[in-house]
Amino acid sequence: MGEISHRNTKPLQVNPFKLSQPMGATLAFLGVDRCMPLMHGAMGCTSFTKVYTTRHFCEPIAIQTTAVTDITAILDGGDTSIVESVKNITAKVSPSLIGLHSTGLTETKGDDLRAVAAQVDFPLVYVNTPDYEGGLESGWALATRALIEQLVEPTEAIDDDKVVLLPHVSLTPIEVEKIKEFIAAFGYDVLALPDLSTSLDGHLGEKQAALSSGGIGVEQIRTLGDAGLVVSVGDSMRACAEALQKKNPFMRHRHFSHLSGLEGTDALAAWLLAETGRECPPEAIVRWRRRLQDAMLDGHFSLGQTRVLALGEPDHLTGLCHSLLEAGAKVTVAISTVASPQLERIQGRRVLVGDLEDAENLCDEYDLIVGNGHCEALAHRLHKALVLRGFPNWEEVGNPLKQDVLYEGGAYFLCECANTAEKLRGHG
Amino acid sequence: MATKPKIKELLEESACSHHKTKKTSCNAPTPGATTGGCAFEGAQISLFPYADAAHLVHGPITCLAASWETRATKTSHTGRDFTQMGFTTDIANTDVVFGGEQKLLNAIDYILQHYSPEAIFVYATCVTALIGDDIDAVCRQAAEKYGLPVVPVHAPGFVGSKNLGSRLGGEAALMHLIGTLEPEFTTPFDINLIGEYNVTGDMWQYSHLLDELGIRILSTLSGDGRVRAIRSAHRARLNVIVCAKSLISLTRKMEEKYGIPHISLSFYGKRDTSAGLLAIAEALGDADLIERTKRLIVREEAALEEKLAPYRALFRGKKAVLNTGGNKTWSIAAALQDLGIEVVATAVKKATEADREKAREVLGEKGVLMMNPGAEQARIIEERGAHLLLAGGRSLYTAIKKGIAFADVNQEKKKSYGGYNGLLNLAEDLKNALENPVFKNVAKRAPWEK
Ligand code: SF4
Repeated sequence: MGEISHRNTKPLQVNPFKLSQPMGATLAFLGVDRCMPLMHGAMGCTSFTKVYTTRHFCEPIAIQTTAVTDITAILDGGDTSIVESVKNITAKVSPSLIGLHSTGLTETKGDDLRAVAAQVDFPLVYVNTPDYEGGLESGWALATRALIEQLVEPTEAIDDDKVVLLPHVSLTPIEVEKIKEFIAAFGYDVLALPDLSTSLDGHLGEKQAALSSGGIGVEQIRTLGDAGLVVSVGDSMRACAEALQKKNPFMRHRHFSHLSGLEGTDALAAWLLAETGRECPPEAIVRWRRRLQDAMLDGHFSLGQTRVLALGEPDHLTGLCHSLLEAGAKVTVAISTVASPQLERIQGRRVLVGDLEDAENLCDEYDLIVGNGHCEALAHRLHKALVLRGFPNWEEVGNPLKQDVLYEGGAYFLCECANTAEKLRGHG
Repeated sequence: MATKPKIKELLEESACSHHKTKKTSCNAPTPGATTGGCAFEGAQISLFPYADAAHLVHGPITCLAASWETRATKTSHTGRDFTQMGFTTDIANTDVVFGGEQKLLNAIDYILQHYSPEAIFVYATCVTALIGDDIDAVCRQAAEKYGLPVVPVHAPGFVGSKNLGSRLGGEAALMHLIGTLEPEFTTPFDINLIGEYNVTGDMWQYSHLLDELGIRILSTLSGDGRVRAIRSAHRARLNVIVCAKSLISLTRKMEEKYGIPHISLSFYGKRDTSAGLLAIAEALGDADLIERTKRLIVREEAALEEKLAPYRALFRGKKAVLNTGGNKTWSIAAALQDLGIEVVATAVKKATEADREKAREVLGEKGVLMMNPGAEQARIIEERGAHLLLAGGRSLYTAIKKGIAFADVNQEKKKSYGGYNGLLNLAEDLKNALENPVFKNVAKRAPWEK
């Protein structure tokens, strides 16, 4: 449809909004109850990740580093620093799981995580996440797949009421909760992996959290194999669903590229109706669908004259663009952090893999920006309207409460975009 | 010419007060029990405020993606502000296999063509240091081609802590910038400000006072800094280390090489600001200047006192517990005392020995120096009847549990607490915290809870 360029031709990134694989893996491990993410690398990566997640979620974040130094970088195959780390962590807290993930440094020196993990006498899941490949989304997906492959017990038993939800990294805690509720409203027991909805939802912890509390339990992960259905959201999560199906040949899989807007949510509802043989979804869902249609109509005048720049991880971007396009907004520029076949699905005028310098160079082509916290400065400088979405966002509070998916979130999202665009036009 | 500094030498800085007792105090991370930034981060912090230089991070995405736009280092530079920009070679798999030097060279070309900065700092990071990219050679080549400084910064994360990284950043400036340009003119009162990064505009809380006294800031490392200025820093009469000890080796070397003496001070709180101004005047050794400085201090303190009066009543009899790290353990404590708040305890877990000594001095014999603040602070709040907890976000729940006010001192701050005026900002923030009912309200039980 539009002009799609998937290759970044520049020798550098200028003002990147892309984030790293290890960071994505950390987030995934934070969605497991009482899990300690352990990043295998020099300490800076972990420190940066901690600051980022703490400020975005406004929550204390559990994470540790193997603290590789110039000496261990050369002499140690990872054995000492990892084994020592596990010893030091478990001396202080008692996690249910350690989530070991690598960085570019330890991948470059060629540490064999699998071999080292075998020496560790503690529940541990390991995953290779070099930061010179992929990004936030793939890091999250790789860690999720590792959780499945290394923890879930194979079985042939099936519980038809049990659904496993595999959300992509950009779904906020409240969005995961809403999707769980949506499916549960059709009579299912839903477990999300990873589950940030109960771990990073802005609850008032009574203690100083040294470990994540909330999230899916390790025991629950072990027994995910008997679920009758697995639902993956976002193309990055497809491989995870396949890994889960390998644990049980009778498990069925349904994939959604996104659950945004009318069409996206209709697809989920239609499938659930077909599965359950119900005529009609629960009343609340019916009402929210009407509200979304109403919001599309109410917002169409403003949105119809708004040209949008959308930025995000591929799975997130696809959903955002879809919502906006079906409500009549003109997505003139969509910029993704990394390449993904998902991008083909975006019906924007210009779809590219790039950075905020690209966004700046195309500044004549849009009025409203939808993107993460880095876009604040951009919008300010270029006098554009701004709706902050994605990770990280330090400019606003309440990130875990932002919901854009399903009929309900879609309605809120369109209203916010329309109002924001209108405000700028008014002052224009 | 090898420009890699000798790490060991920097760690054993002879001018550090803890030098004798703890040789590698700045560089001993424990696997699985360590928090804190890496050397790369420290180097970037120390050089980043040069707003007219591009900062190019040679490494995979982690290093830069998570570090640009994270610090509010303000600048008065009127051109494009590069402190608000991030440049990275974002090396990929193929670069790791075949080397990233060509990509680095292309990236430098790109920056020079599109942004024309005064200089480029090129930061090595863990991966590019490990694969052995020769950034010295690339930088030299680019510097010759374009005729401007292209400075290699050798502080890959794995060599150590943030603090060491700051030293390495300073080292890079010393080796490649300082002394490469003559200033247009000099004055007898030229100083360099070292280790002030102008976070939230801290430097501007006192720079106008220096100005008024006729003291010229010849260059800074690197708050509101300019490349041209630091290149001529060797002509200053005095190096003033502001708060941070991390650049002490740089000032020692400048003393050896250029004969510039140095003093170390802080601009937090009323007493320290006054003492700092006077220390500069005295070090410059001009009787008239000292006299004028004394008069200025009297004037400023009087003006401050007048503005503080309404707060004083509110703060009378109030006690605070402070849980933070580094020099904040004592500098904020001193500022609190200036406001008439009694500091009953401060955390020294993350402080150097010099900072601990200083904290003891500031708090006096009765003050508690907490070695394990997470566990101790709740008890101390109770025992001493503290009204206010200043700490990082994690400790919020301690405050709620004890039903006292809380102020976050670790979050990347948005307001300056430096100088005389900064003290007013601090007073206002603390007043708001003390008056805010939220701490009591969130602690309230629900109707269905016992
Ligand atoms: S530890 Fe190394 S790889 Fe990690 S952020 Fe620091 S320099 Fe970059």
